Amino acid sequence: MTSTRGATLEFRDVSKRYGGQLAVDQLSFKVPAGRICILVGPSGSGKTTSLKMVNRLIEPTAGSILIDGRDVLREEPTALRRRIGYVIQQVGLFPHQTIAENVGTVPRLLGWPKARIAARTEQLLALVGLEPSRFAGRYPAQLSGGERQRVGVARALAAEPPVMLMDEPFGAVDPIVRDRLQNEFLRIQRDQGTTVLFVTHDIDEAIKLGDRVAVMRGGKLVQYAPPGELLAHPVNAFVAEFVGSDRGLKRLALLTVGGMDLDTNVARAAVSPNAPILSPASTLREALIRMLASEAQVGVVLDGQRYLGLLTLSKIGKMIRSDA
Amino acid sequence: MTLLGDVARWFADPAHYQGSDAVQTRLLEHAAVSGLAVLTGLLVALPIGLYLGHTGRFGFIAVNVANIGRAIPSLAAIALAIPIAGTLLGVQNGLGFWPTFLALIPLAIPPILTNAYVAVRGVDRDVIEAGRGMGLGEAAVLRVIELPLALPLILAGIRTAAVNVVATATLGALVAFGGLGRYIVDGLALQEYDRLFAGALLVALLAIAVEVAFGTFERAAVSPGIRVQQGAL
Repeated sequence: MTSTRGATLEFRDVSKRYGGQLAVDQLSFKVPAGRICILVGPSGSGKTTSLKMVNRLIEPTAGSILIDGRDVLREEPTALRRRIGYVIQQVGLFPHQTIAENVGTVPRLLGWPKARIAARTEQLLALVGLEPSRFAGRYPAQLSGGERQRVGVARALAAEPPVMLMDEPFGAVDPIVRDRLQNEFLRIQRDQGTTVLFVTHDIDEAIKLGDRVAVMRGGKLVQYAPPGELLAHPVNAFVAEFVGSDRGLKRLALLTVGGMDLDTNVARAAVSPNAPILSPASTLREALIRMLASEAQVGVVLDGQRYLGLLTLSKIGKMIRSDA
Repeated sequence: MTLLGDVARWFADPAHYQGSDAVQTRLLEHAAVSGLAVLTGLLVALPIGLYLGHTGRFGFIAVNVANIGRAIPSLAAIALAIPIAGTLLGVQNGLGFWPTFLALIPLAIPPILTNAYVAVRGVDRDVIEAGRGMGLGEAAVLRVIELPLALPLILAGIRTAAVNVVATATLGALVAFGGLGRYIVDGLALQEYDRLFAGALLVALLAIAVEVAFGTFERAAVSPGIRVQQGAL
């Protein structure tokens, strides 16, 4: 599969005023090409307004939004939108069209030849895990919520957009399906290399999916950082409270055993046989839980058959303290 | 019992299929004036209803026009249409086809206009927003999303208009128009009840035929995806 190259996305002093009310207040940040930026914050923080200004469903009052350095305000809105994928929480599939027709919407608008649209549709359905021969001819009402959401993602990706906007796309599905959709989304995003701007109010989703997380409050950007940084160094009490008092634990889920300073002074033979075996790829959170559950309170780190050392509770504690 | 027999004999009489008062001639006259009135109402009401529904503005116009149209008694409308047709089209056109045709148009417009407005207005806003967000222009939003999704209700409005018009076109006989009303009016005047009933039966059958035709058309024209949604598939 040819992977699309994402574009850079930049907000430059973007404001949106409704009457006397500032919904978005001088928002500035850059998303590198091919990265996922999550806009997160409580309701009314201006995150959805910010997202919709990128494809000009809402027009900014001031400032500029640049995609690969080009100001979106200088472009014709319909042409602009055809180059930007768009997924909303309610999905908004066209109920009177088949799944294949839905996915082919933007390519049809762009005047692709029929054969190319058919080939692309099939490829995309396979990409999002829907067997084309089973799903292409069905109607949205015949699909489950999770399946519809996948079609929404496939439809947004149809014309290989360099930028994709997602407004709480997994908000309406149950937690188990959401988790699976998130994992698939990450796989697809890495595969396609699309730059993604993603709105959620769920901090856990933001931490799981984001390369960068923009925390917003009252239309202002409060902190813009990678998830690990956000958890380790919240800039103020609002962010600290928003990411949760368990931010230390959340952070452990982002770190791997392989990145830790291990205790190499103890020979493997000297370690209790109850100690769990950990791989460098497992997260610190998982390692901690298994260590606490075993009586040994330490973990043996093996890379395949090779013994790398011991992970101890005090090493994990030291890591948390050093950053907090 | 005897009346039914008389009506059957009336239909069996070959004389009723000849000359200017033949059943097929009256049927054709009736269908023609009804069809033209509905078509004219459609050409006026549908674009306005779709436009108002799409923009969401002036909705009260759609509703009020509908109510006024419904409030005018059909007989009065036909009476009013006589001088109007006479003035507009010349005195020789003041009776017969034209006043009947003109009087039926305001009857056809309200259900078509109201239904088109309500149907387009009622299309899921999320679906429209998704369409706009993907780069559909306003005309494309109407054509690709709103029209197909509003179609069942729009067709229901046209069907209501058509059935009303077919039933009311009977009154055309009062202003010297032909059509199936001829049998009813003449049957009443001459106290020939077999003729009167035959006319009433033919009007009812024509109205039912219109219903059935629309039902068939709707099944063919409305996307199965919408029927799936409504749980009918």
